[in-house]
Amino acid sequence: MTTQFKVLERNHPRVDAYDKVTGRATYASDVYLPGMLACKLLPSTRNHARIVRLDTSKAASHPGVRCVITGTDFPDIRFGSGALRDRYIMPREVVNFVGEPIAAVAADDEATALEAIELIEVEYEDLPSVVNPLSAMGTGAATVHPELEDYEGYGFTLGHNVSTLLDADRGDVDQAFKDADAVVEDVYRSQGINQGFLEPMACVADVEPNGRLVVYASTQGPYQIRASLAGVLEIPVSRIRVVAMELGGGFGAKLRLTFEAFPALLAMKTGRPVKLVNTREEVFTMNGPRLPVTNYIRSGVMRDGTIVAREAYTIFDVGAYLGAGPNSGIGHGIGAYRVPNYRLRSYGVYTNKIYVGSYRASGVADMTFAVESHMDRIAHELGLDPYDLRVKNALREGDVSVSGAVVPTNGLMETLEAIKEKIDWPRDLEDGHGLGLALCEWRSGSGPSTAAISVNDDGTVSLLTGSVDISGSDTSLAAIAAEALGIPMEKVVVAKRDTDLAPYTGQSGGSRIVYSQGTAVQRAAEDIVQKLMALAADRLGVPEDALGCEDGRVYVMDNEPQGLTFTQLAAASITSRGGPIIGTASLSSMPYTPVFAAQAAEVKVDRETGQVRVLRYIQAQDVGTAINPMAVEGQLDGGVVQGIGRALTEDQQFDPETGAVRNPSFASYLMPLAMDLPESEIVLINVPAPDGPFGARAVAEPPGFGPPAAIANAVYDAVGVRVKELPLSGERVLAALNGQNADIDFDVEALRRAEGIAAD
Amino acid sequence: MKQPLTLTINGESRLMLVEPYYSLLDCLRDEAQLTGAKKGCDEGDCGACTVLMDGKPVTSCLILAHSAHDCDITTIEGLATVDGLSPVQKAFVEHGGLQCGFCIPGLIMSATGFLQANPDPTEEDVRFAIGGNLCRCTGYARVVEAVMAAAQEMREGR
Repeated sequence: MTTQFKVLERNHPRVDAYDKVTGRATYASDVYLPGMLACKLLPSTRNHARIVRLDTSKAASHPGVRCVITGTDFPDIRFGSGALRDRYIMPREVVNFVGEPIAAVAADDEATALEAIELIEVEYEDLPSVVNPLSAMGTGAATVHPELEDYEGYGFTLGHNVSTLLDADRGDVDQAFKDADAVVEDVYRSQGINQGFLEPMACVADVEPNGRLVVYASTQGPYQIRASLAGVLEIPVSRIRVVAMELGGGFGAKLRLTFEAFPALLAMKTGRPVKLVNTREEVFTMNGPRLPVTNYIRSGVMRDGTIVAREAYTIFDVGAYLGAGPNSGIGHGIGAYRVPNYRLRSYGVYTNKIYVGSYRASGVADMTFAVESHMDRIAHELGLDPYDLRVKNALREGDVSVSGAVVPTNGLMETLEAIKEKIDWPRDLEDGHGLGLALCEWRSGSGPSTAAISVNDDGTVSLLTGSVDISGSDTSLAAIAAEALGIPMEKVVVAKRDTDLAPYTGQSGGSRIVYSQGTAVQRAAEDIVQKLMALAADRLGVPEDALGCEDGRVYVMDNEPQGLTFTQLAAASITSRGGPIIGTASLSSMPYTPVFAAQAAEVKVDRETGQVRVLRYIQAQDVGTAINPMAVEGQLDGGVVQGIGRALTEDQQFDPETGAVRNPSFASYLMPLAMDLPESEIVLINVPAPDGPFGARAVAEPPGFGPPAAIANAVYDAVGVRVKELPLSGERVLAALNGQNADIDFDVEALRRAEGIAAD
Repeated sequence: MKQPLTLTINGESRLMLVEPYYSLLDCLRDEAQLTGAKKGCDEGDCGACTVLMDGKPVTSCLILAHSAHDCDITTIEGLATVDGLSPVQKAFVEHGGLQCGFCIPGLIMSATGFLQANPDPTEEDVRFAIGGNLCRCTGYARVVEAVMAAAQEMREGR
């Protein structure tokens, strides 16, 4: 590959690779402290009930048990992970889902803690409950949160179980529908999805002799869980130190406080270190997954394929609590297309099942399944080619996004052209084989970002950021620093961090780190370069503007042999007037930079069984400058495979009566294995971002959006049936082949009436 | 009550006192202080705990520690020598066959055991050989590439 860069756009093994391939990388569950106790949790067996009696006396007096806590041992403070403070860290009176932890035990070992859990006596008084979100919106349904209107953060009243409503409007939607040549209307449903990270939630809490709480955590947001812990334990942030251990996968599930408060309080009460490691069943039943989404979508289109109007009503089941903030689906109701008139609504609806959590751009994969399936439906209704329809309506530079930001230069068209060529679209295939497309869009993540780089006397640098590495970002940040400083990668040491050491930063999530944190690193490096230039001017006795800087060397522009290397300047800085050199940078937000990806699937459908096999899967994504191409491709590989799991096999199921998770294991929640998958085919498009570090765009989120729609569209192409519900299991596809796929009921009129919108 | 157990772990004979109900995985992690093998599910589904028992890959969470008495156990900690990484480890580093890394000790042990018995595999063979190891980050593409590269290097090195 030809490149203008010295370090970037070249493959670099991860800076943590040696630790990880030798088993030396230390995850939270690998922390063993002297005198450490084991913590176990008691789950609720009811999905909506008052706790009438919770007797822990037998458990507390069991030999080897050191402490038992329940909800009332915590300060009486409501806590929230999203827009609302809608829960207690452990319920005080009322449980809202099966699996909700209601007591925690610390004992000498895990077996004793489990024995003690069995000895806790609970009596419940059942309350009316509701599990289906569409029923929950109706009158007469049980109320999940009777005190909803009193919660801090609640902003409106639209129905007793509606936690949040996001809306976006543009133009005259109703008139545009009247003027349209055709109207296409669909309802899609996507399933519950578990994040599927391999490392269960784990935490070790310890109290220092001075009373300070130290938490060794498996987290994407050490500063965020520090703040939440301070809130639920009612202690100052300054009395808590969070050490972010190696993270064994999170994908959004570890963005916020999960179970850390339980071992923390037990450690505070016993004075001993306490370790909590979830079982896989607990991961499935206690920690928020994505919950089912129902999407009503309607478009007004002209005969030539121009989309003139869009209406979308999306119902996000949020379970017992708003564990993930308002869903981020709203902006994606029009997809990556220019739609002049739209009405978009996203409802978050409480039900008595496990609370909703974040997962790799929460909600956007659900929206993309609906929008991109619907695009093919429009194409077929109008007799147009699905590829041409996408090109015709695709966003162009200068268009205005749903957020109101203007779309800057981007590689959307190049991604479409790349997959068209690579999969050879359109193409006649044998019976049972089909091709399908999907277009995905996301934005590069923003948020508070900081970096500090110190120059060592041998010319190496130490890079300190507060961000947790969830995607190879430490390696990318090192590469950015090396490029900006003109030194090789090996000279950058990435420091392991905790909240006492590193400057504050936002969470690692939303494809944010390389784009935003990377910009902070670039600027911190530029800060160093400026300081080195000043030092060089001083040492060489020339004005700064007479100096040039290249390849880790500062030289006099009129006399190139006269100069000082980075290493010489670093050594000199130690005893210089200004002292050792540190470069720092901070930023609070970054400009809107979209990320576009086009994907194509080739599938084979077995008409006898309904089984879908993905034969080829191609993705083209505009990543801007690929900081570390190997890592970029790794993100694309992994993201698409998560999307293929979502399309075909993954399905978090809930009991319709109790809301309990019915398949809480890897044997029953089916994630893709190596032999289920085709070879990875990737095209990286590089249209440099105007604002990212050296032109890089975000990478990680879009790959997972496309597979459900691309594969559903390919199934339609293969066998002529349209499946609007995920996953596309053999059973579901076979039912569709037998003409048994009923349309999904959705009373859109009721929602329009609630807003005072007249029926058509 | 804890019972004496003799295991050869990474070439060293160890005598330990281990609870009768302990799995081999718990024994390695809690008693032998070898935390490289990971507990991803404790149900034999994820493969993160894979070690070699008398040369064959096993999910150590499903084996009672005492049933491995006198067996020869190799864990991820036993692969690298003072001279450097094993060919499989090296290939995972160079080909980017790892991300979060939690499943990697298991994947490397599965691949190591497989390649010892099957030095010249096809890509499909490799995909089936690691079919008991879940990985959520990589999508397996670079993992498969790494195992194929390691196989080639091991063949050429012989």
